[in-house]
Amino acid sequence: MDKHRITSGRKMVIRWSWREIWQGQLWPVMVALTLIIACVVALSALAIRVEKVMTDHGRSMIAADLVFSSANPTPELILTKAEQLSLTTSEQIRFQTMAFSDSSMQLVSVKAVQSNYPLRGELILMGSNALSKGSLQPGELWIAERLFSLLGIKIGDQLAIGDLTLKVSGKIASEPELTYNPFRTMPSVFIHQADLGKTGAVQLGSRVQYRTFFKGGESELKLLQKVHPLQAGERWISEGNQGRTADLIIKAKQYLSLTILMVILMAAVTLVLTCQHYADSRTNTVAMLKSMGAGRRWLRQWLLSQVGLMFAAAIILGSLIGLGLEALLRLPLAGILPDQLPGYGWQPFVFGSAVALLIGLPALGIPLIRLLDTSAIAVLQAQTVKPSKKGLWLIAVPVIAFLLIYGANTLVWMVFGGLIALFVVLASASYVLLHLLSKAKWGPAMSLALSRIKRSAKSSMMQLAALSGSLMLVAVIWLVRTDLLSDWQKTLPADAPNVFAINIAPTEQQAYLKLLDDNQIQRSLAYPIIRGRLKEINGKNAKQSADNGNDHINALHRELNFTWVTELPDDNPVVAGQWTDQEGVSIEQSLAADLDIKIGDRLGFVVNSQAFSVPVNSIRKVEWQSMKPNFYLIFTPDVVKDLPATWLVSFRINDQKLPFLNQLGRDYPTVSLLDLRSMGGKLQTILGQITWSLTVLAGVGVLSGLLLIFTLLRLSLNQRQREITLYRTLGASRKRISQTLWSEYGVMAIAAGFVAVAGAESIVFSLLKWGFKLDPSLHPLMWFTLPFLALLVVFASLMSVIKGLLKPLK
Amino acid sequence: MSKSVISNETELSILKDITFDVVAGETVAIVGTSGAGKSTLMALLAGLDIVSSGEIELLGQPLSQLNDEQRAQIRSESIGFVFQSFLLIPSLSAVENVTLPAVLRGEGEDIDKAKKLLDSVGLTGRETHLPAQLSGGEQQRVALARAFMTQPKILFADEPTGNLDEHTAENIIELLFEMNRDHGTTLVLITHDSNLAKRCDRTLSIHAGQLQEV
Repeated sequence: MDKHRITSGRKMVIRWSWREIWQGQLWPVMVALTLIIACVVALSALAIRVEKVMTDHGRSMIAADLVFSSANPTPELILTKAEQLSLTTSEQIRFQTMAFSDSSMQLVSVKAVQSNYPLRGELILMGSNALSKGSLQPGELWIAERLFSLLGIKIGDQLAIGDLTLKVSGKIASEPELTYNPFRTMPSVFIHQADLGKTGAVQLGSRVQYRTFFKGGESELKLLQKVHPLQAGERWISEGNQGRTADLIIKAKQYLSLTILMVILMAAVTLVLTCQHYADSRTNTVAMLKSMGAGRRWLRQWLLSQVGLMFAAAIILGSLIGLGLEALLRLPLAGILPDQLPGYGWQPFVFGSAVALLIGLPALGIPLIRLLDTSAIAVLQAQTVKPSKKGLWLIAVPVIAFLLIYGANTLVWMVFGGLIALFVVLASASYVLLHLLSKAKWGPAMSLALSRIKRSAKSSMMQLAALSGSLMLVAVIWLVRTDLLSDWQKTLPADAPNVFAINIAPTEQQAYLKLLDDNQIQRSLAYPIIRGRLKEINGKNAKQSADNGNDHINALHRELNFTWVTELPDDNPVVAGQWTDQEGVSIEQSLAADLDIKIGDRLGFVVNSQAFSVPVNSIRKVEWQSMKPNFYLIFTPDVVKDLPATWLVSFRINDQKLPFLNQLGRDYPTVSLLDLRSMGGKLQTILGQITWSLTVLAGVGVLSGLLLIFTLLRLSLNQRQREITLYRTLGASRKRISQTLWSEYGVMAIAAGFVAVAGAESIVFSLLKWGFKLDPSLHPLMWFTLPFLALLVVFASLMSVIKGLLKPLK
Repeated sequence: MSKSVISNETELSILKDITFDVVAGETVAIVGTSGAGKSTLMALLAGLDIVSSGEIELLGQPLSQLNDEQRAQIRSESIGFVFQSFLLIPSLSAVENVTLPAVLRGEGEDIDKAKKLLDSVGLTGRETHLPAQLSGGEQQRVALARAFMTQPKILFADEPTGNLDEHTAENIIELLFEMNRDHGTTLVLITHDSNLAKRCDRTLSIHAGQLQEV
């Protein structure tokens, strides 16, 4: 046989497939696939970038990619391994000591660092010539700005740290490792590690903290952490477990993966429906080809070449559109993302294509396998197709992949489980709703519409489920974003206090507060601070009271800050027991849980060698992330009022009030002022950036969801073409048909809208409560906006096809 | 042979103990009212379906003993079809539709032959047109050309003029018989048009599942 002709036959099949994709029945499947790939590529590329930016922010707060912190020098094993793994390292030793100037002294936190410190983030040192620099050399001494006034010194003056006396090189304008704890923050002093020995401050038994900073690849950092089992007092610090930003970053990352999952789920619904439609439309062609003698093998190759070509085209086109979309999405984030954008590599493209393939395999595979069974006789006589279970095993492919990828992600399972359960409930609910509607008296258009929905119950339910499911996911994406942001704003409001005054003597307290009030400074309540230890629980040594011992609990190994109040602060809700005004102590809930303390347990304390005991009257929830004074233990006044105490107050200072703050420092030299402005400012900036990122991502999620719903509706309307033509033939006016369509799809949109809100509320409730661990609430506005949005999408879809549907009859 | 189907759990007998022969080169019309079982008979004869009892021997092969693939093989090698609703592939041009049976046989595109066939049905110059760009009559001409692409021994035509106006239908029938003569094909024509049936060598009528020679 002529070889050339056989090749030309194959070429014809490819040409045919190509035309099917662009002009034929494969077009809607191609659009759905391309959309899925484009959305997943764009979202995951953006997510990777945003995640990198967030990680970078987090890492700039810990001065490295990973930090090993210990009370002893970093084990040699870790350092050797780091060298083997080619990680960059830098060491820091920090301790507290007195700094002496000619006229004054002050407790400071000394950080002895190497010249390459910090490995991440910014250290800005301002010298006398107002020039800034980012690293430190031997012989230099840099001090926190407030030490200049506290010690009465200026640049160039001598300052003694232990046995070492150095000239002050300048001020620390910005340092990476800011911690937020008013009781622990002491003014910083930076010296070079080469000068550490000369201070004589680090002796055997001195309280010193050793930190080794590491910078390098993710896998190397993971390997490093495995090399040494942690001992008491040792820990690894990473951007995900350190400080106020860690929580923001973790939640934002969770939200990112959630959004992508939602978009994938919505896309899957659309893909399944378009594929089903495609396979249905091919029945006649397959029967005809079979009647002409096409064997199964030929048909299989023919379908595979069509599908293969379509996937290839969709992957290329989808990736390109995804790239463009990502660039578009980045526009509003221009201020947040660094000039040098972190790359995203191949991951989004691989992910986008894999998602499309994994969903496409069963979505297309199952109907196509069944299509191959089409009987040749269908070409002459319409056949009723028996329901077949063939190809169902293909569903296992995405399910297994899903299990492998999301196996450990509880948030994802929550959504997934919820979706399946809701799907059943919602489908029944909408069916009942439609049934009830059809019982009422309506005009002819509405009656026709309702009867159509009822008549084709299965396909109507499928459509309704797809529509309400997609709308529900759109709503979940938006609501979770809104709730996350409002929670963050609540704990870190724009007017959060940014200065803490501690060590206010009781005699000065009234005057100090009056001064703040007279200057219209917004302040917190003033709290007395008493330092003491928790020693006993119900008469037993607290460290041994629990069955397995409480020795590991940090709060038992250090002095805690106690306070007393007549009424608990508003933002400390009581979760168990009741606050009494005498003879009681209120304990923070996590400490109570750790020590297994219950209401009525008697706790023994030691303050200034004075022991006393008191029963627990309540357990409180404390928002540790809020920049407010927070306490583990709050006593009723009668218990500790007479013990020696100093006072603490926090307040907010804006730039105009800066001279007042300086004056305050001078007027009350014994009061320590902790200026957290730069810390608070940094947090606010990060929060702002994350807010923007999440809003843009949520926007994309919602938009792609709406786009998919739009595609879905258009597809369903196009399927109605033949039926509408029939109505027209039978003499139905355009007006009547158009009214019927409006009624049918309108009813469906509103039903789907309400069902979706109900579903979304329950998913958001579970996600917030158990996933993000936040307080859930209802969203009344959504009950109006979502049905309205559904109507709007239906309106847009109908408008885009109605002209074609009502074409004059030929 | 007989054919019955199960509908709503009751057995419905469509063709009852039918026996007849068609010899090579003959033209046979099968007539009957709607629902009489004409299309079922044609489906059985062409191996698109199998009998419930009895046997059909097609070109010397007992169809009920062949599987789906083997019957497809016979169709691909020896049978041509013309359908009432043309059944052209919308995304293939006229010439591509005509050459399709050759591609299905694994012989590849034979554009020259397809063009000649299109010439013979009077569609010179319309080779690259898509079905949507052709009239009903023109589409049926393409279908006719397609049916003769692989030199079939038997041509089955199922109401080939059912979707056409009278004038066009006449032209198509002329063409069908002319081509059938030229190619020496056996023709089995299903129709409810008795005038058309008269043009065939024999007419078989189906009524209530029984076959009668007219």
